[in-house]
Amino acid sequence: MTVATPPKTTWESLQEVFEIVSLRGPDPIILSSIPYLPSDGHRHTKFPVVLGPPGRVISVAVGLRAALPDTPLLLVTAADSATLGTNHLIHTARRNIGMTLLVLRSDLLEAGDIPVDRTGWASTGYQVTMEQAGTPLEWAIALQASLVGRGSLLNPSELANLIVEAVETPGFSVIGVTGDPTLRTGVMSRRSDWPEYFTTYRAWSEGMVELPTSSIWPVTPAQPRSSAPTRLEVRIAGIGGQGVKLAGTVLSEAAGLGEGLWATQFGDYGSATRGGPSRVDVVMGSKRISYPAADDADILIVLSRDAAAAQLPRARPAAACVADEGTVDPGPGGPLVVPIAQLAREHTGTTIAAGVTSLGCVAALSDAVSLDSLRIALRARLPERKVETNLRAMEAAYELTTVLTGGKQT
Amino acid sequence: MSTPSFMHGNQAIADGAIAAGCRFYAGYPITPSTEIAETLSGRLPEVGGVYIQMEDEIASMAAVIGASLGGLKSATATSGPGFSLMQENLGFAVVGEVPCVIVNVQRVGPSTGLPTKVAQGDVLQARWGTHGDHRIITLYPSSAQEAFDLTVKAFNLAERFRTPVILLSDAIVAGLLEKVEIPDPADLEVVARARPTVAPEQYRPFDYSGSDVTPLAKFGSGYRFHITGLLHDESGAPTEDSEVVARWLDYMQRKLDDHLDEILDWDEIRLDDADTAIVAYGCTARSAEHAVDLARERGHRVGLLKLKTIWPFADDMIERLAGRIDRFVVPELNLGQIRSEVQRVVGGLATVEGINRADGLQISPEQILAAIAEKAPAR
Repeated sequence: MTVATPPKTTWESLQEVFEIVSLRGPDPIILSSIPYLPSDGHRHTKFPVVLGPPGRVISVAVGLRAALPDTPLLLVTAADSATLGTNHLIHTARRNIGMTLLVLRSDLLEAGDIPVDRTGWASTGYQVTMEQAGTPLEWAIALQASLVGRGSLLNPSELANLIVEAVETPGFSVIGVTGDPTLRTGVMSRRSDWPEYFTTYRAWSEGMVELPTSSIWPVTPAQPRSSAPTRLEVRIAGIGGQGVKLAGTVLSEAAGLGEGLWATQFGDYGSATRGGPSRVDVVMGSKRISYPAADDADILIVLSRDAAAAQLPRARPAAACVADEGTVDPGPGGPLVVPIAQLAREHTGTTIAAGVTSLGCVAALSDAVSLDSLRIALRARLPERKVETNLRAMEAAYELTTVLTGGKQT
Repeated sequence: MSTPSFMHGNQAIADGAIAAGCRFYAGYPITPSTEIAETLSGRLPEVGGVYIQMEDEIASMAAVIGASLGGLKSATATSGPGFSLMQENLGFAVVGEVPCVIVNVQRVGPSTGLPTKVAQGDVLQARWGTHGDHRIITLYPSSAQEAFDLTVKAFNLAERFRTPVILLSDAIVAGLLEKVEIPDPADLEVVARARPTVAPEQYRPFDYSGSDVTPLAKFGSGYRFHITGLLHDESGAPTEDSEVVARWLDYMQRKLDDHLDEILDWDEIRLDDADTAIVAYGCTARSAEHAVDLARERGHRVGLLKLKTIWPFADDMIERLAGRIDRFVVPELNLGQIRSEVQRVVGGLATVEGINRADGLQISPEQILAAIAEKAPAR
């Protein structure tokens, strides 16, 4: 009586091949999505293995390559799982991270098959045709593979040598793996390699150093003045493109780093970069700021008609309100009108400086932040060539507001 | 010695990552998290690290796992839509016990939602987003300073427990510019990647015998082992042996549950004499803290429990509070994701009320104050 020897599983066949793969450098890492059970006392595959979700291990390889420049990466895949990760394969190819693909049931150039799995899953499960999946040859072309070849599981030593050759060839290699004895095996094409992403990246970043953090602010943090408010809320509202957010940044840093206060800046703006509503809230005070919104603004500045219509009616009675000229209808009981955009245009040539210009109004209306601190904050945040003109616009707004109000309000 | 500087929450996360030793970032930019990627794209090459913009968030999470297996502390950042895409590989990192940090700066969802508006709708997704029973650590800062501190803590916990750690943030904390005291590197506690102490031949990548993790050997360093999304034995080989799977499951829970004192983090604010406790986190905790001050001025005995670790949930702390607190108020920018947790722990010991909105606006201190001023509902 003869006992039929069960056919080997794909992994068992591959393990035999890996056993005789001999490389000079570090171990290759095998990446795959093909489940395997090293049951019946069967040994582990000898090399390190990452067995991840189908298609996704292709991107795991990107991280491994970034961490391990010299470690060979060996992707063992069948057409279906690689197809699930085709997006990742395309981008991995674009980055040319250098990887060898072992494509099972390869019909590289011609049709082919792999040995039958003991459990039958391989023989019955692989219903995806190569026409649907994109052929390994097409992948090889898309990957601009340096080496394309086919090996047979029936000839483990030849396949092992092919793997070694592929691994030692820079760039991508694609090796079809077949079990069909009628198919030709060996190296089928070679082409020159092209720059590998992380090599290029490292060359680019070589010599880059951490710049010392230099600050024009005094090293010793300022201490708040005894007259500092417990909590002062400032809201600047306008439209995108008026420099509202920058104004908030400058004001909060002047308060926090110049005056030694607690300070927060919070912007609320939509998806549009220009023309949409834009608002910034700065809250400062001698007490740590919990709630960062200026819902009950002590100082409210509106720079557009929409902002004026939205904000002024909800301002609390004691608030100091400033409106840019032309944003409100003139009349008694209204906000203080200062030609903010006009001053900005006059001194800087553009209304992008309107926000920063309005900080002059804030300094004129409150003792909390001095003009000196604002000057330093402006220098810290603006390019050198823009500092002087913006400063002049801000100072002009300060002087005009002081004249119009006859002194500080809050 | 520390250096004060002004930065928003997103930049604090990026700076915290660098300070914690992060040397690999893979991501796909998305509002309101983009400044994290932007900052790290400049900082990482300066410190010998790698920044890479991936094709999508699926690949980002996969690359983070790969780089971590290659020995680099790794992170990604995203918002809700990208966080959804990361769940598959997040589960892979849980099962493979691969340390990494995933930042989710929340915005209003589901789907594309309100891209620039604030929400806290992903709190339960952080807990249960990937399939299957698992434990996860989730931290959540409420200020730029906490964003820096908790990012460092997230990397430390990821290494300590060989696990992905989720750092939740929100559009308000992300965009809030405020003072951050950056500690001197010498004063900063940073957990380095543990290395195996045994020879490669003796190395086993997993140990289910207790609740302590085995050091993760660096791939490519001569240690030959397998990382798989399949359930596996201590050698890393896939297994279907239910006895091994049961031991694995027990270990995976105990590795966090037995060390809650290292993981849980919260602030107690004016709770000593309180009869009412607000439980809040992230941007909402700031409104809540202001509301506590306003309520105290009006004579209400209110305090705040600010959660900084969201998952595992602070069951014991809530239970202790429930013994002496009459009323819990849970404001959230979602429809009650943490309220249900508080309710679960409190049971019938106190009343639990939610203040909820998910319309892109934040909860104001006045809204919380109004709820407190109302008579507490019957238990």
